[in-house]
This record gives sequence, structure tokens and C-alpha cells, in this order.
Amino acid sequence: MHPDPSTNDAKSAGLPRATEITVGYKALSPSQKDRLQKIEVNPEEGDAPPWDALTKYKTVGTDVDRIDGMPKATGRAKYAYDMNFPDMQQAMILRGSIARGVLKGLNLDEAKAMPGITAVVALKEVGNKIRFVGDAVAAVSGKTLDLVRDAIEKIRAEYDADVHNVDFLMDEQAPLLDSKGNVDEEWDEDKKVDAALAAAAHTHTGTYRTEVQTHSSLEPHGNVCKWDGNNLEIWASTQATFGVRGELARALGARNIKVESVDVHAEFVGGGFGSKFSAGIEGLACALLAHESKLPVKLMLDRFEEHTTAGNRPSSLMQVRGAVDKDGKITAWDWRSFGGCGYNGRGGSVRYPNYYMSDAATRRKHKDIATDADPARSMRAPGYPQGWFGAEMFLDELAAKAGMDPLAFRLRNDAEAMRLDQWQFAADKFGWDKARNHKNERGARYVTGVGCASARWGQLGRHGGRRQRYGMTCRIHPDGTVETRSGAQDIGTGLKTVIQMLTAEELGVPASRVRAMCGHTADPIGPASGGSTTTASIAPAVRHAAFLAKGKLIDLVAAHLGVPVKDVTCGNDKVGTAKASLSWTDACKLVGPNPLEVHGERYPNYPDKPFHRGVCGAQFAEVRVDTWTGEVKVTRMFGIQDCGLVIAKKLAESQVLGAMIQGVSYAVHEQRIMDQRSGRMLNGDFLRYKISGIKDLPELECHMHSVANGHNNTGAAGLGEPPSTATAAAIGNAVFHAIGAPVRHLPITPEKVLAAIASK
Amino acid sequence: MKPFTYIVPKSLDEAKEAAAQPNTLVKGAGLDIVDRMKERLQTPQNIVNLLPLKADLAGISVEANGDVRIGALTTLTEIENHEAMRDPVFTALVKAASTTGTPQVRNRGTIAGNILQFTRCWYVRSEAFHCLHGGRGPTCLAMTGQNRYHAVMGWSDCVRVHPSNVAPPLLALDAEYSTVIGKETRRRKFSELFPAEPRAENPEHTLQEGEIVTAIHIKKQAANVRTAYAESREKESFDWATTACSVRIAMDGNKIAAADIVLGAVAPVPMPRPKAAAMLIGKEPSKRLFLRVADMAFQGAAPLAHNAFKLPIGKAVVRDALEQATR
Ligand SMILES: Cc1cc2nc3c(=O)[nH]c(=O)nc-3n(C[C@H](O)[C@H](O)[C@H](O)COP(=O)(O)OP(=O)(O)OC[C@H]3O[C@@H](n4cnc5c(N)ncnc54)[C@H](O)[C@@H]3O)c2cc1C
Repeated sequence: MHPDPSTNDAKSAGLPRATEITVGYKALSPSQKDRLQKIEVNPEEGDAPPWDALTKYKTVGTDVDRIDGMPKATGRAKYAYDMNFPDMQQAMILRGSIARGVLKGLNLDEAKAMPGITAVVALKEVGNKIRFVGDAVAAVSGKTLDLVRDAIEKIRAEYDADVHNVDFLMDEQAPLLDSKGNVDEEWDEDKKVDAALAAAAHTHTGTYRTEVQTHSSLEPHGNVCKWDGNNLEIWASTQATFGVRGELARALGARNIKVESVDVHAEFVGGGFGSKFSAGIEGLACALLAHESKLPVKLMLDRFEEHTTAGNRPSSLMQVRGAVDKDGKITAWDWRSFGGCGYNGRGGSVRYPNYYMSDAATRRKHKDIATDADPARSMRAPGYPQGWFGAEMFLDELAAKAGMDPLAFRLRNDAEAMRLDQWQFAADKFGWDKARNHKNERGARYVTGVGCASARWGQLGRHGGRRQRYGMTCRIHPDGTVETRSGAQDIGTGLKTVIQMLTAEELGVPASRVRAMCGHTADPIGPASGGSTTTASIAPAVRHAAFLAKGKLIDLVAAHLGVPVKDVTCGNDKVGTAKASLSWTDACKLVGPNPLEVHGERYPNYPDKPFHRGVCGAQFAEVRVDTWTGEVKVTRMFGIQDCGLVIAKKLAESQVLGAMIQGVSYAVHEQRIMDQRSGRMLNGDFLRYKISGIKDLPELECHMHSVANGHNNTGAAGLGEPPSTATAAAIGNAVFHAIGAPVRHLPITPEKVLAAIASK
Repeated sequence: MKPFTYIVPKSLDEAKEAAAQPNTLVKGAGLDIVDRMKERLQTPQNIVNLLPLKADLAGISVEANGDVRIGALTTLTEIENHEAMRDPVFTALVKAASTTGTPQVRNRGTIAGNILQFTRCWYVRSEAFHCLHGGRGPTCLAMTGQNRYHAVMGWSDCVRVHPSNVAPPLLALDAEYSTVIGKETRRRKFSELFPAEPRAENPEHTLQEGEIVTAIHIKKQAANVRTAYAESREKESFDWATTACSVRIAMDGNKIAAADIVLGAVAPVPMPRPKAAAMLIGKEPSKRLFLRVADMAFQGAAPLAHNAFKLPIGKAVVRDALEQATR
């Protein structure tokens, strides 16, 4: 379909054009019903017409290999870490060695005088506070990393150390815990909650804890900086090319630097998980060193710095008391939680799945507690995996008290209609009934168990702003290739492939004709990669750009063939009408000699109510527990996840499976271990900071639930974060089922399992 | 890393000579030593790479009398796969080797390097901490700090643990090791490789500076000997054991005629538990017996603030090894 805007009345009226579309989804299994409905939407004039549940896709929803898979696998993809230039200098940061205090003296002279050292800059002044072990004090660049390290050792930094604390539970604001680890404090009065608790058929109270998880991106934070006069070119490992650009321009403003003088590259990024939104002190230090030395400088953090200075998912303590009526309906939900934060005392907030207690008397209280440690940064669904662990485990314990199967209990209480279908579908696929009713042999060394938990995330993409919407360049080249460019970064999630597939779909050509480029601020403005917004924010702009390019090509073809523009379509690698057409490559020859170029933009989401706000999912896990050693092995997981329109199926699955892998690791392995005396992390490497390896992983399967939401021209929603909310909770519940006692503290390590078994 | 001279010897004699220089370390695959050098915990002037001597110092052979010789540079993967290691006498050694690290570690890591590896203590292995170990500070920081992965027995002033997987099975087999130093060739019992009183200032092993391990010898065992190795761990790969146990059992009919039990990862050295082993002699294998023996193996153990879990888990591992060896 190629509506001709010039013949549209709505345009002259300047009014949105109402369109009826079909939203929802087809039955997940033969035993379920289609959930399709017609709604009216009002796209803005000029936007591409909406796709909906009835659209027949050629490329979208299929398995296309990652566009940059080969370059990545063969090492041809160049990450910031891989950038090298003649005379490039290496750099390191001197990190403060105390957890709290003041910088009393800083002498850089000896370091500056060392041969091979090209620049030394102070990042703190004498008298400044040192707020955690790892706070940046000074930076050095030189010919080799070894020389730089020698120089770092020669910097004399003196500190006035203050008393510190790196364990939030030792803070005076933290609640007291009893010997079993339960919060041991009275609840404040709350008329509604108290009444609901008093009237309940069953009540329960539980305290849950999670530990600090670090982002552990494969590529560390860091950059390569190169100055040319007043222009700075920077290759950054970042989730926000435009953010880094603005931030550095501001920070270097005194040096007469404008935003336009900063050129950021992040063509390939080795993950970020929420830790790479800012240029960081490492970005600023690198730019300063390059400026001072007048040479290109590379400054990448090492693994210890990654673990200790680049953010984390903070720890948490949660206590819930809740109640059900005689029908198993939740009637009270009283929640108090505490976040174990870094020195800034922020980012520890936890969320819980509130769709289970929509009819209950609820109360929620939270307090963030500061410690003298590296501050939290947003990490893949900030606050969700923690809260879901506490809440979903509490649900299983409450269900047990009410004598209900955990799945039946969820079906009874979950207020999200879409997830009810998902629960049933996934439970069948997973074989819930059989596995849940399996009885472990008495006295058996190995016992198995299964558990489940929900997934949730809520956003449908952003448009960037009224004045400056996100954009996209689309070029159709005379040789038949198509180039789509965005200045936003692909942090490894597969954004380039998504762009490629959407462009191919709109143009009716095979994906192999399309190249997608990301991550250079010379290209159109795009969002930071966070909050699972990137695809949802960019997809409609990609489509719009391709739609405009298609219109231009159609004009050329119509003139060439002498047919009306409105009769010409693109599809099956051809352009033309039913009677007369050109092959795609012949059509593109009409473009030459220069490519046809258009600028697409991201229109706001429709003002109308979408089919569903946000996305939902459900996960099931099976574990085997060695009751002798307490070792937990997650053996099998199944997840179902919606993300609005599923564009690149293989990559979407990879997001879900990846979230489950990270969740397994969070559930049974990962924890930051601190030395309270020095305030230093003890396991700041990949040997002692334990991340699940291949052998530790279960059989993983997932089902992508494609839903037409009708919120913009593509209807894509976010996916990175939602599946990471459920995993640890499902595993916790499976362990509870296996051993008959809950382990309420992540990670579920052997000693906690043995203690739980002993406590039965 | 600090600059150093890299010496590539052409013969064992050359290696010996080079290793005799002051401030010199020998290197097998370098998995452990290079890590320590990168951290600047060790800054040797010379590194003697032994790998070029693989022709003489690697490989497994069965001698005429049935004794088995394992070259010091034999990789853990070779141990895992070698024909001669199929003998049930080596079940424990093969299991210990094959659960070490990851395939990459086993493909490179040598058996001598594994046995002689440095402790994993996170205070000792960090240049930021200055603890008693190696005389870098006044006290053992782990003793009063975070000691989740530390010793529960056998320590005096330093609570590090010996991390090697393959040392306990070799001790249980009463193996011997050959070394060269200067003009001398020595052959001693494995028990002599580890300090009798593992103090902070003692290295992990008793080798003299410049002494090179050339081979490991295992005497031909009686036909009724069985061995087993079991360990507890937090991850299935890319990790070290939290407790380990190797046993050697000789059965006479349905009674146990001889037994050895060696614990790993619970003390600064691999720990033979002769009293526990003695309880097995003349008895029929049973769950009750094994539970009592496991208790005895941990008799006198005194956990630190964060590693009490090693007792119940370590006992389960002893029981596991005993069951496997008598199955
Ligand atoms: C990720 C990872 C996981 C691991 N997991 C485990 C595990 O689960 N269990 C386990 O036991 N180990 C584990 N290891 C340790 C690993 O097995 C050892 O580091 C490796 O076997 C050492 O062998 P190498 O040849 O590299 O020793 P090197 O690093 O070369 O040497 C180690 C030490 O031995 C000395 N040395 C080496 N050869 C000789 C010789 N012939 N004569 C005298 N001195 C010598 C060196 O001077 C040095 O001090 C792991 C290592 C890694 C990296």
C-alpha cells in the first residue's frame, strides 16, 4: 500500500487521519482463543501507515542472521578497545585507596618527569573528598601500559581517612534482623492493611535479600580520544553516543569546545547493561590526556575497575506481609524494602509485580541506604529482579499456606489478561503439572523442583522530542543496495539487524540488499540504549525513512513506465504494477548517479489507547539440588515473552535467552564480596566474581509472543529488560519446591541451601 | 608486568643453570605465574620457560615394573585422556585433573604447575593488601576478614588453602616426585613437597630456589586398589573446589583392607587424614561407617567466621569419595 498524501483531505485540514486497525494476537495454542480486536488510531500526517495484526510480513518475524555476526566472530568489527593510531598513548587512572576521607596531598611531579610519560592530569584537588575505594584521583598517559603503571606508582597521594562502612545492613538506618535474617521491627499502623490482615484466611510474612551484582560487560568502559585543533574525535564504549557528545562538550566547554566539535563513534559496543550512559571520568580523563599530550590516547578500564567503579545492581532487603481470603485471592500486601546503595545513596529502589494485588489493601515503603562504595547504576531492569525475587517467592510461600498450587494461585490473582494466556501456554510447554506433582524419593541425595515467575516491563518507545525527533537516513543506491544510518548505538543487542529487516520489509526486498550503520554522531540523532526503548523508539523512524525512500523510487518508476503513481508498489524485489514492473536493481538504476536520500523521523506514538501498555511474560524453571553439598543446578527453563511486534526473531530470542542466562547467574552465583576493613572489593575479577559458565546453564527455550499493539507504525515494544525480571524468582521458587524450604537470600549458594534444609 | 629476561633453554642442563640465578622463576604453561606477575606480586628478573623441554619432561609412561611416570610438563588434558590412566588406580587422579578449571586451562596447564600453584587467597593475591604471607604485612588479613574460601584446619598464622586438585590424589597414592638442582637429582615422597608446618613465611611447597620438578612417580598398586575423588564447588567449571577429598581403598573380600584419605582446599596444604582412614580398616562399607569416618576426617576442624559451611559440605564430599571407591 502506498497512500498518496497529495490526494488526502486530512492533510489540508491539518488533522490526524483516523484509521481502523486490528490489534492483539492470534491464539497461542489450539486450546486458546484469538485475541484480536479492531481499534481506531490517529497517526500524524506524513507518517507511514500503521502495520497491524493482519499485515502479512515477508522479513519481519523471521530468522535473519545478525548482520554483523561475521565481522564480530572474525574480529573485523572494531570496538573502541580495538582502535589504534600511530603514536597512540596508553593511559590509566590512579584510584583512591581509602573508602572515605579527604585527599590531603597530591604530588604528580615525579610521574610527570618520567621518560615515556606524555601527560599527567589531576582529577581531584587537595581537599576534595574520596568517597569509595576506586574514586579517581589522577590520570597518566604514556608509551606503554607498563610505563604508565610505573608512573602511577610514583604519584604520591595522601589521604585523611575517615571511618567507613560498606555493608548497608550495618548502617544505623538499616532495620534490625533477627538470628534467622528476618526484619525484626514493628510495622507502623495502617488501617486498611491491618483490617485486611485481620480478616484474612491465611497470612504470611517473609524477609528477602539480594546481593550486589556488577554489570560485567565484556568490553570494559573506556575510550580512544584524538584531537585536531579544537575538534575532538572519540571512540567510546557507550550506550549513548549523543549523551557522551553533549557531556564532553559541556565538561570541556572552558576549552572553547562546542557540541559540534565533538564527534563520537561507537560503531561496535561490547555490552553495557545500563552502566554506559555517561562518558564517565574515564572519558573526561582520556580527552584531557589527549589534549595535554597532543597525541591520541587510549584509556580502557581494567576488570577490577569495571567491578568497582562502573556501577552495579545494588543489594536489597525486602520484607512482605500479605494475606489471602478463603478463595485464594490476595487481600493484603504490605511491603517495606531497603536498597544498599553507593555513596550517593541513590538507585536502590525495588519494584514488585503489582498486577497480583490489584484488589488488595497495599502499602509500599522504601528507603535507600548509602554506603562508602561505588554508586549503583541502572542495570537491566533496575529494581525489578530484586523485587520480583522477593515478591514472587513470597507468593509461593503464601500459596503454600493457602494450600494452592503456585500456578493456580497466579492464575487466580494475575490481573493482566494477556499473561493468563501466557501462563497456560507456557505451563503446558514446560510440563508444569507433571513436574510439580513429582515426588522426590525420601532421603534421596538429589531432589528436583520446579517454580515459575512473571515478567513485566512497561514502555512503548520515545520519539525524542517535538523539536528534534529521532531521525534516520535511508539511501537507495543506483546499484540496488540500500543504506540505512542512525547515530544511535547498537550495544550488541542487534539494532543494526532490526534496522536492516525493517527497511527490507518496507521496500519489499531481501534483507541482504540492506546495510545498516549505527553509532556515529554525524548520522541522525537517536536515543540512548536504555530502558528497553531503543528498538521501540527507532523502529518507526526506520520504517518512515524507508517509506519516504520508497515513495521517491515509486515516483521515478511510475514516470519511467508511464503508469499512475498510485498503482505502483514495491514487493518481491520488484517495483511496478501488476502489468508492468522493473526488477529492484533495474528500478534503482533510475536513481543514479547519486543515491536517493531521505530523512525519516520518529513520530510520536498514537494518542489512542494501545492494545496493551508495556510487555509481559512468564518463566518456568526446574532445578536439581544436591542435598549433600547444597549445590543447585538449574536444569531446564522455559520462557514466554511479548515485545509487541517481533521483528528479528532470532535476535529477540537471543535477548530472552540471554536474560535467562544472566538471571541464572544472579540466582545462584553472582555477588560482590567486600572487605569491610579496607572497603575494597575482594572478588573484583572474573575468577572470584562468579558468573555462570556454559556447564552451569540449563536447557533453555523461549517462545516469542508477537503482539500487535497499535501504538505506532510498527508497534514494536522493548525487550532487553522484561525477561530479566523473572528468572531468579522462578529459580528461587523451584529450589523451594525441591527442598521444601525457601532460600530467601540471593545468590542461592550451597551453604544457604544446606541451612534451609537443616531448618525444616 | 615489569620487564624481565625470558630464557628459553635448549636442554635440562641449560634450564638448571638458568634457574640457579638469583631472582629467577621457572615457568610451565604460565597460567599461574603470569597472573601473579601481571598483578606485580612477583617481579622476577628472569623467567625460565620449561615448555621447550617437553620432549623429555612431558608424557606418561609405564615402566617395566609397572610403575607409572608422569613427566612434570604433562598437561592435565593428557592425564585425562591417556591410555595408562584408565587403570582404576587412577580414577581419582583423572577425575581431579578433568574437573580442573576449563578445557583451555587443562590443555595448557601442567601437572607440576598445578601442584605448585600459589594460593588463591584474595588478600595474598592482591597487591593492594599487605598481609603476613610473604612478610608483606603484620597479620593474616583473612583470619579476621572475609574468609569464605579459607582454611578450616591445619593452619598456624595464615589461613590460606592449597588449591590444587591433583595434589590430594597423588598424596593418597603415596606418589613420589623427582627434581633436579645443580648437579643433584632427588627423588622424594610427595608428603615432603608440602611444609610440615605451613606458616605464612613458608612458600606453598618445600622446593629450593632453582629446583625443578622433572617427574612424578606412582608405584604399581595392588590389584584390589580403587581410588576416588570428589569435590564441592560453586560453579561447574572455571572455578576452584571449596572442599575436596581423594581416597585410596583396597578391598579384601567385602572388607576394607587398606585406606588413605586426603582432603583438599581446607588447609594450607593437602591434608592426609590417617585417623579417619584407620577407622575403615577391617570394616564393611556402610553409610553409617562412612558418616562416622567423614566426621573423623573433620575432627578438630575450627571454622573461621565465614566458612563454617565447609564442614558439613566437606564431610559429604568425604562420604561421596568413599562410596565411589567402594561401589
Ligand atoms: C580459570 C582457572 C581455573 C582454574 N581452576 C582450577 C581448579 O579447579 N583446580 C585446580 O587445581 N587448579 C585450577 N586452576 C589452576 C591451574 O590448574 C594452574 O594454574 C595450572 O595448572 C598451572 O600450571 P602451569 O603450567 O600454567 O603453571 P605455571 O603458572 O607455569 O607455574 C606455577 C608455579 O609452579 C612453578 N613451576 C611450574 N612448573 C615447575 C617445575 N617443573 N618445577 C618447579 N617449579 C615449577 C612455577 O614457578 C610457578 O610458581 C585454574 C586456573 C585458571 C586460570
